Amino acid sequence: MIEDLAFIGQIAVKSSIAVLLATLGEIITERSGVLNLGVEGMMLAGALCGMAAGVVTGNPFAAAAAGALAGGLLALVHAFFAVTLKVNQVLSGLALTILGMGLTSFLGRPLIGVRPGVRLRAVPIPGLSDIPLIGDIFFQQSLLAYLAYLLVPLCWYLLYRTGAGLKIRAAGEDAAAVDAAGIDVFRIRYLCTFIGGIGAGLAGAYLSLSYTPGWKESMTGGQGWVAIAMVIFATWNPLRAVIGAFLFGFLTALQFYFQAVGMELIPAYILKMLPYVLTILVMVVVHAGPGRRFGGPAALGIPFSREG
Amino acid sequence: MAWRIEKRTLSGERAPWWVFPAALFFAVFVGALIFIGLGVNPLEAYAAMLKGSVGSFFHFSEVVVRAIPLILTGLAVAMAATMLLWNIGCEGQLVWGGICAAGTGLFLAPHLPPFLVIPVTIVAGAGGGALWALIPGLLKAFLNVNEILTSLLLNYIAIIFMEHLYFGPWRNPEGFGFPGTAQISDLARIPHFLGTRIHLGLVLALVLAALIYGGLRYTRWGYRVRAIGLNPRAAGYAGFSIRRQIVGVMLLSGALAGIAGMAEVSGIHFRLQQGLAVGYGYDGIIVAWLARLNPLAVPLAALLLGALIVGGEQLQSLLHLPASISMVLEAVLLFGLLLSETLARYRLVRRPDAPDRSAAKKETAP
Amino acid sequence: MTASPPPALALDNISKRFGDVVANQAISWSLQAGRIYALLGENGAGKSTLMSILSGRYQPDEGTIRLNGRPVRFQSPAQALEQGVGMVYQRFMLVEPLTVTENILLRRGPVSLARSRESRALRELAERYGLAVNPDATVRDLSMGERQRVEILKLLHRQADILIFDEPTAVLTQTESESLFAILRRLKTEGKTVIFITHKLEEVMAVADDIAVMRRGRMVSQLAADKVRSQHDLARLMVGREVILNVDKPPVTIGAPVLTVRGLTGPGGTARPSFRNINFDVRQGEVFTLTGVAGNGQEDLVAALAGITSLAEGSVTFKARRYSAAGWRNRPAAGMAYIPEDRDRVGSIAAFTLVENFLLTRLAEGKQSPLLNWPQVADETANAVKRFAIRGSGIQGLAGHLSGGNLQKLILAREFSRKPDLLIAEQPTQGLDVQATEDVWQALLRQRETSAILLVTGDLKEALSLSDRIGVMFRGEILDIVSARDTADIDRIKLLMAGLGAR
Repeated sequence: MIEDLAFIGQIAVKSSIAVLLATLGEIITERSGVLNLGVEGMMLAGALCGMAAGVVTGNPFAAAAAGALAGGLLALVHAFFAVTLKVNQVLSGLALTILGMGLTSFLGRPLIGVRPGVRLRAVPIPGLSDIPLIGDIFFQQSLLAYLAYLLVPLCWYLLYRTGAGLKIRAAGEDAAAVDAAGIDVFRIRYLCTFIGGIGAGLAGAYLSLSYTPGWKESMTGGQGWVAIAMVIFATWNPLRAVIGAFLFGFLTALQFYFQAVGMELIPAYILKMLPYVLTILVMVVVHAGPGRRFGGPAALGIPFSREG
Repeated sequence: MAWRIEKRTLSGERAPWWVFPAALFFAVFVGALIFIGLGVNPLEAYAAMLKGSVGSFFHFSEVVVRAIPLILTGLAVAMAATMLLWNIGCEGQLVWGGICAAGTGLFLAPHLPPFLVIPVTIVAGAGGGALWALIPGLLKAFLNVNEILTSLLLNYIAIIFMEHLYFGPWRNPEGFGFPGTAQISDLARIPHFLGTRIHLGLVLALVLAALIYGGLRYTRWGYRVRAIGLNPRAAGYAGFSIRRQIVGVMLLSGALAGIAGMAEVSGIHFRLQQGLAVGYGYDGIIVAWLARLNPLAVPLAALLLGALIVGGEQLQSLLHLPASISMVLEAVLLFGLLLSETLARYRLVRRPDAPDRSAAKKETAP
Repeated sequence: MTASPPPALALDNISKRFGDVVANQAISWSLQAGRIYALLGENGAGKSTLMSILSGRYQPDEGTIRLNGRPVRFQSPAQALEQGVGMVYQRFMLVEPLTVTENILLRRGPVSLARSRESRALRELAERYGLAVNPDATVRDLSMGERQRVEILKLLHRQADILIFDEPTAVLTQTESESLFAILRRLKTEGKTVIFITHKLEEVMAVADDIAVMRRGRMVSQLAADKVRSQHDLARLMVGREVILNVDKPPVTIGAPVLTVRGLTGPGGTARPSFRNINFDVRQGEVFTLTGVAGNGQEDLVAALAGITSLAEGSVTFKARRYSAAGWRNRPAAGMAYIPEDRDRVGSIAAFTLVENFLLTRLAEGKQSPLLNWPQVADETANAVKRFAIRGSGIQGLAGHLSGGNLQKLILAREFSRKPDLLIAEQPTQGLDVQATEDVWQALLRQRETSAILLVTGDLKEALSLSDRIGVMFRGEILDIVSARDTADIDRIKLLMAGLGAR
């Protein structure tokens, strides 16, 4: 029984890391007032570039950095359109997703079936990993997972306890007021969009370097969209992002569990649907409950311009 | 004389004619850079794409075949967007249209009078898509849940369900392990034209485009939809029920995507199988915005995108480039459109060097 | 006599155009430190544009600005503030979910570190200028008067020497306005230059040292306040002719009540409804006016009466039929027309043509065939355009291209065409020029022959010119209903608006 729980828990955490990283990034982006629906595309770019850099360099840090950077660079395309050109942010984000899907499908062709140069395996943390159950679940993970653990409180601290975070939140609430205070709204929004891209890129790299090492077309399977939904569920708070991501991971883990024990209590296809159904359900819950009060940053998706 | 750039003031103004050509030029230009980066002569590549898409009647007929579902999903997206709704779930609605059409063709057709089979298939397809779109519609109307995310996530669920059907209970027992259902009844297949794969779906799509165009302009329903889309507060002041219209428009939008799926199953594949969900739902977004949400322009935009897709396939067979290059070009085209629409928000005005001191009188804009 | 120091602020030949519209034309003005300047003018006279140029929001097309004799150019409000010029906008530039301190120290970086020292400095600054506000309060929870004080504090914290206020009393109650004036005088004695934009003449008389008047983009007059003898003089300068105060009212016989409301209480919970226990009736042929300082519940009351929001308690009798609070919202639409305050964003659709707009509120009327009869609507629109002298680019032009006055006339024409028994008009002339105001007033007075009219306005001049009876609202209640003919009563209205003098 304990082994089963440890198994499910470990896989659940493992399956939630990509969504968590992408959600954290998107929270920062949206807090500054930019809606980036291109997360799925940026994740794919991160996955492909991370994998490719791994093959070329064999260095896990270079691979993860390449993935993060790929996501960040794509995010800058969105920033240019959304912040500088002030186009419809939904459309620009969708275009970015399509661009990411197209580019990776196209450039990734030669990498299909190639042995990954880097595999980020579980690194047990001495001491902590010996704690019964908890150790198995949380401290037998890969380095990127530990990074995600650290990023949760860091993002929270950044947003709520630093001057930069104050400016970010203010930019997402009332850009005109921030501008009047002599703060460069454009720079904040560019930076936060870039950070969001880094988060999505890392999430993608996690998938191709650690979760399912290797490159497969559309290997993100909608996790970028799940992440955007989880931002709403988290009501734009990095600490609460953990809950959404873990729920997603848990339902994904159930599939593996039932497969592993060869039981079919619930048909496999229903299990496969569950993470998506859950994501829709949590959005319904948050809208029927707290979301009614807390509708997110007031200036989300609204471009800022000084004259007119 | 001096020139300066000035912002246009009103969003409702008709965009200048050059918006679309400029977007196309941008896409062709960026595409050329990509080809050069790949070590391919861009002229050669574009020539191959052109030849492959409009080089012969057969090739062009294939473009039309692709354009049929694109017209329908483009209409679906445009219809929703006219009311400020983002239906990103056309892919899933298309899949449900296909599932219902296949179900009708496989199981219901033998029990129906022959002349009723095709009408019932069409209604089933439309109904399947509409019901799937009803979920995000209701959630948006009554709980204000973001329809972009719900409609999109439902795509994955629809596809998983379809796969379950053709891998599982609906699998063709004589399929030699090939994933897919058995072929649908001959009665449930929609007619083809001119010895090509162009099918009845084209007529349906064009008639629907015209109906929606007219419906938006000449009916009370269309007036309400446009008013809500342009100014929800004014629509509320006028007493229009925004909730009811959201649900109605999502139903219609889903029905259009469902018909696209029905037409793919009953006109092309004749069974439920892998190749049904190939992204026509997502392409519909591009079609709708290329057409600037005008239903009459949707078929033209769909043809362009169809040509891009077929042309991309030609690149694969002629120059051994992955066909997904066409997806990259689609995205670039959409970015190009956003870019040129931004430029169109500004206009160049001439102003005299010396300020005319007598011109203090306020004048209405022409 | 020694050479006097250069003026604290000098404008020299400032001009600004927006497209074809000239907002400011060759404006020169020089201001001294330690004085309060009132900038007067009607809506659209170019006051706000001029001040936006001063505060760096707009750049002038021509002309120079000098600070203490030194020419300056501001590319942004931040740059202007850097040089000591700050502005308090009508729409406050505060981030609502943040605290007062966070808003003021937004630029400074880690607030947690700075908190102790900086917040003590802020408290001292606030005390010195009499700006009572809790530095740890969230802006969202503050009243308009408190928010304004935060804005002033923000400017003082940034060491602004020239403070500009754009219609600072528009959102304030009488008491809040008076404490603002005290703050302004305090700023003056500390050697600051204060400019405030207004069109309320009594305020000018109360605090200004100097007065500048703008009309149609030009500076038409500059004078010392003690030279002004009466408000009438100022009004003449502002408008360019005598203000209309007496409108010809064609006599109309007043009949039975069309609308009777009893005990109306607004939504928002029983604890704090935006209006409560409202009783009045509007009779056939009469203009009944609800007036009050903005934000005293009249907006919500109108929205509920118009059926846009719901009522919590009370009853409404309309055309001899009685409705409960819940039933009122679902009553048949016929018989009542509503002219909303925001004609651009609520009353019309900018991207629709005049013809399309003419149908907006009339869609539910007549035969409900699914098809629309556009030629007929176009005919009606053309008639309305002729009858109301609406000037624009034709009935197929976009409503968004109409000027405010012409758009308002289109909306009036549309609502009149519904032949309402009751017409609700909310701030019908807000932001209109004198000519358009007169046209709208005449149209409303003519409409009395067929409708009862409920007018909601904060403009006392308008209330007195049009009404038969006036109900004054304060903090969600009607304090009293007075006759517009009784001069003794008229003097009481101002007191009532400030919450005083209720019987």
